[in-house]
Amino acid sequence: MRSRLTRPVMLAAALTAGVATTAAAQLGERVIPGTYAITNARIVPVSGPSIDRGTIVIRDGLIVAVGTSVAAPADARVIDGTGLTVYPGLIDALSNVGVPARQQGGGGGGGGFFGQQSAAQQPALAAPNSQHPVGLQPELRVIDVLRIDADAFEAPRSAGITATLTAPRDGIFMGQSALINLTGANPQETLVRSPVALHVGFNAVRGGGYPGSLLGVFASLRQMLLDAQRYRDIQAAYARNPRGMRRPETDHSLAALVPVLSKEVPVVMHANAQREIERALDLANEFGLRAYIAGGEEAWRIADRLKRENVPVIATLNFPRRSGTASEDADPEPLRLLQSRVDAPRNAGKLAAAGVRVAFTSGGVAMTDFLTNVRKAVESGMARDQALRSLTLTPAELYGVADRLGTIEAGKIANLTVVRGDLFNSAGRVTQVFVDGRPVTVRAPAAETAEASVASGTWTLTATFPEGERTITLNVRQEGEQLRGSIQGALGSGDINNASLSSAGELKFSVPITLGPASEEATFSGTLTGNVMRGTIAIVGRPNGTFVGTRPDTGRPAGRPAGQRPPR
Amino acid sequence: MRMTRLTALMLACASLAGAQQAVSSSTGSTLIKNATILTVTKGTLEGTDMLVQNGKITQLGKNIAAPAGARVIDASGKYVLPGIIDPHSHMMADGINEGSLSVTSMVRIRDVLNPTAVNVYRALAGGVTAINILHGSANTIGGQNATVKLKYGRTTEQMLFPGAPPGIKFALGENVTRKNSQIQQGAQRRYPATRMGQEEILRDAFIRAQDYKREWEDYRARSARREANLIPPRRNLELEPLVEVLDGKRLVHAHGYRADEHLMLLNLATEFGFKIATLQHVLEGYKIATEIAKAGAGASSFADSWSYKIEAYDAIPYNNAIMLRHGVLQTINSDSDERVRRLNIDAAKLMRYGGLTEEEALKTITYNGALQLGVGDKVGSIEVGKDADFAIWSNHPLSVYANVETTFIDGEVFFDKQQDLAKRAQAEQQRAELERADENRTTRGDQTRRVILP
Repeated sequence: MRSRLTRPVMLAAALTAGVATTAAAQLGERVIPGTYAITNARIVPVSGPSIDRGTIVIRDGLIVAVGTSVAAPADARVIDGTGLTVYPGLIDALSNVGVPARQQGGGGGGGGFFGQQSAAQQPALAAPNSQHPVGLQPELRVIDVLRIDADAFEAPRSAGITATLTAPRDGIFMGQSALINLTGANPQETLVRSPVALHVGFNAVRGGGYPGSLLGVFASLRQMLLDAQRYRDIQAAYARNPRGMRRPETDHSLAALVPVLSKEVPVVMHANAQREIERALDLANEFGLRAYIAGGEEAWRIADRLKRENVPVIATLNFPRRSGTASEDADPEPLRLLQSRVDAPRNAGKLAAAGVRVAFTSGGVAMTDFLTNVRKAVESGMARDQALRSLTLTPAELYGVADRLGTIEAGKIANLTVVRGDLFNSAGRVTQVFVDGRPVTVRAPAAETAEASVASGTWTLTATFPEGERTITLNVRQEGEQLRGSIQGALGSGDINNASLSSAGELKFSVPITLGPASEEATFSGTLTGNVMRGTIAIVGRPNGTFVGTRPDTGRPAGRPAGQRPPR
Repeated sequence: MRMTRLTALMLACASLAGAQQAVSSSTGSTLIKNATILTVTKGTLEGTDMLVQNGKITQLGKNIAAPAGARVIDASGKYVLPGIIDPHSHMMADGINEGSLSVTSMVRIRDVLNPTAVNVYRALAGGVTAINILHGSANTIGGQNATVKLKYGRTTEQMLFPGAPPGIKFALGENVTRKNSQIQQGAQRRYPATRMGQEEILRDAFIRAQDYKREWEDYRARSARREANLIPPRRNLELEPLVEVLDGKRLVHAHGYRADEHLMLLNLATEFGFKIATLQHVLEGYKIATEIAKAGAGASSFADSWSYKIEAYDAIPYNNAIMLRHGVLQTINSDSDERVRRLNIDAAKLMRYGGLTEEEALKTITYNGALQLGVGDKVGSIEVGKDADFAIWSNHPLSVYANVETTFIDGEVFFDKQQDLAKRAQAEQQRAELERADENRTTRGDQTRRVILP
């Protein structure tokens, strides 16, 4: 919780705000926001009708006044809002901002999906004293591992995002998320609310142990929820009267599920295909959980059920695209799959029209595409006010912070997104955001792509399979977030496809390789840091391999995650 | 995969179905006129009418009058066969093996079903209406099965066979021990590595299940006596299904090839007082046909697949016929999303090898499967009062020239060849439009399609 500030501190803040922000952040000190007034702006408060020409006053990190007849206080820095529209600060309803990526293999969101890990590999989060298998640690809290890297905040803020629900990256019971504001020198300072929700992914963390498949994932979720019910009852019995009863064993993992069973803590279930969503809902109903669906690509197909069961959808803006070309011999893609890609931008609009509560998640999409895809959703039938609500008040409500965030109202946290023009117009440009009352000027979107070409170069890769080690050369050319290139060497030669490099340095590409008698499609996924890339090689029907790659130092700043801006 | 004309045809069907343009389904009445009805249990009825109402077969006979609003199908020269039942399938499952442990009775195929799997539509085009979806054979005690009606286009819940008793997969022999040959470097070998170990795993699991059962019985007895401060035992999802096996409430479908391992299992089941519903594959069943029949177990095998793996070297073409003649409840299964489409031809092979009668051969893909899955009172034959699950064939289904024209489940049409053909042009047009959409274009375009020069 934020502490109240005294008047002298406020005065100092007003005097030094602009410069102090960066300096104090570097010193790790508490930054003190000042007083600002945005005048003559169009204001879309979400909580009420739009104001064509009005003033917003921000003081001490809070919105203190909004309206047409509000005057800028004498001590305020005045921002002329002519031509600007001010929205409540946008909320990315699900991300992994500040959550460390796993060191090897896995490769980020969805973890475990890309391939098997060796026994030595660990997920990004691990609970040392848990009695449950890796991937089943509901007690993990993202706030405990959050790392604040100012660079990580820049890309989302340039898309107008001021706050996000940041969640663990992988696992089955993945752990508990936190709602953070995208400013602050340390995790505590960013925190708005924690824990917010328990996250459930349905991907087994592979390493040879149980559960090693989707079958086992469901069985282990079910067994653990049953165990939690019993744990709750035994603990309650002991609390009522410990005398004559053997002290029940403590289990942090099961204890973390108790507030989930009582619906105090919602469960965010990561599911995209219709059947995945239905399975998640079936499980939630079996145990009476308060379910949210995250991802939800095909959620519109069962909008009626979602409405009936009052399940909100945290809809992904990472719309699927066809990646790569299938081989000549492959079956043609089913119409349903072709159709689903075309339908993806219509999902949120259809859900909203059916009365399902919708929030938007970036879902791993490039931040430069975040607003582009929101606009696509609007072009595909979603009402603008619904889309805006999905970016502001709805996520605030879902995460229990609607008393603090989500609208432009006096007394709320001063998270604002300032747009030249209109947010839903392709000409609209985010010029500035306020986070916790602190103004942040955002960079032009073009800057990101120009600086992101960090995978380019000639890499020497050592690939390790049960068959032995193979050395190959990987040539990569990066254009924006797209990678092109080819491999040569002991695994044959071929062009890479489906290649991507996220801003967090998560790397993925497929390439035909020759390991056995025939050429097979191999998927490389891992992380790129400085001049080193490492991760897992997945080939259907074979045990996974690993790879480590290096390239000659070309004067790039080493040790800095790829895709991020250099310090200025 | 080489594309034959047949698979091309199936793909076109699949495209249509993929768009969920479900073939018209009505729950109203249907009257099939003048068909040759292969009842399978009550002989062949020539020139017979069949009335279907509210999903059930309500009347069989000559010159049945069509009720108002009934759809009338002239089936002159055509054949009606009960819906084919495949007692061993892995279709629709997004996961087949939880191979990490040797006992995974807690996992359920039902949890991972994909009702949109296009193979379902292909199977309908082969006259199949119900399948037994089993866990894989990676471990001694595998997961729980799902018995499904192939109601393509419906939800998983709507496809589950109402009232079908639950089942579980066991596996014996080299598939179980072979798991260790694929083990990753550094990972632990999984016990058991031999057939001796498999027997021990089974015995251990059932002893634990007996203990678990007693634990609950004890709790319930104390609870009935209203004892104070009682805490119920932990619910154990691994052992619950095994207790159901002990209680005769869950069917055991046991994968295996060799006679010795199946004999071991039958003896072990006798020791623990339960029955084996089916021995699966059982290519050496002819060696122990008397013992299988005496144990009351069914057998579900392939029509061929002789010597296709080490364990199958002693397989013989007459296996099915020998077991059947010894009184074993015998079925043919596909264990394959592709072979499931022509189980009628597999049944015909049993007439060639072993001289089964037409009806005996047809029973191995219909009625006997219904009995093995515990749904013999509902499906598997054409009888008044049974579910209207059947297909109309262009020729006698044991002929290689036979094609399915229409497949019904619960009186609704789920495949119709004429409707499928009529919609292909439309489907192709839809495909072409979708392929042009920006979302369906690849960034690399068609350049990746390499031209291979001779």
